[in-house]
Amino acid sequence: MSQSRQINRSKRGVPIIAIVALALIFAGGLFLVAFDQGHIFSIAYGEQAFEDLFIHELTHDMRHAAGFPCH
Amino acid sequence: MSLGDSSMNTSIFLIIVLISGALAGLVWGSANLFLVEPYLDEAIGIENQNLFDSGEADDTLEFWIEYEGYRSWQKSGQILAGIILGTSIGSLFGIVFALSRNSLPGNDNIKKALILAGLMWFTIYFIPFLKYPANPPTVGEADTVVLRSILYLSFIAISGFGALIFYKISKRLNGKKKIISLIGYIVFISVLFFGMPENPDFVSAPMDLVNGFRIMSALTVSTYWIALGLILGILWNYFKPNKEVSSFT
Repeated sequence: MSQSRQINRSKRGVPIIAIVALALIFAGGLFLVAFDQGHIFSIAYGEQAFEDLFIHELTHDMRHAAGFPCH
Repeated sequence: MSLGDSSMNTSIFLIIVLISGALAGLVWGSANLFLVEPYLDEAIGIENQNLFDSGEADDTLEFWIEYEGYRSWQKSGQILAGIILGTSIGSLFGIVFALSRNSLPGNDNIKKALILAGLMWFTIYFIPFLKYPANPPTVGEADTVVLRSILYLSFIAISGFGALIFYKISKRLNGKKKIISLIGYIVFISVLFFGMPENPDFVSAPMDLVNGFRIMSALTVSTYWIALGLILGILWNYFKPNKEVSSFT
């Protein structure tokens, strides 16, 4: 007589690719909101981006509210 | 390739981490609009008055039209920035939760996620906040912004990694000896707290405004961490990215 035995195996491993992707999102998002002073847009607009401070102004209120130094 | 004995469902894991971060960030940005914005408006009003008094700007209709457009732009960014920053911090939270879930106390993912959120709130937000509290506009010199950013970020990083190291030490200790790692962290963070340089800027704004702003800021950040733990715990329970695989022999 054959016996059936159920084995439950928990998939506990965390994929490296997921950790790398989330780490990049963490670093990118943090820089964008908390520290950018025109750096990102300077790639496309050059020195003018440091004058316009487009992202800085857009994230200004959250930057203060989250406790990051702003100006 | 994975950290552990087998891999979880990558897509589901990434999606629930990003959604929980974005939703908690939406809650954060929305709470800021109601609780923090009035203090920001008041602080910027003081900045405007200083501009008029010093002659750098004139109190004209043109000024106020331009100002309203500028402030509307900044306020609209509050929600977007909340979602971006919420997703960013939520990503870090997702990594730590996935790696530490089995070690966290409790047998429910919501409870585990809330406990981890509390620990991360304490080590990478609250202790750094006590040392370098949030400031409204009018406080802070432009010349020192890089120094202040380095100090704040360094404190967060050292506090966070310190907690991680002492957690690893506690795992190697048995029973009551685990208290040694807790005492070690308290000593470590106390030395760091009193050893790190102070914020170099003088606070010239009214303290009622500054303290009110700081309390509301701390309240909304804390709301974010609670929402983050709650949402990720609920989504983890529902979608089970590491669900048990059944096989029959």
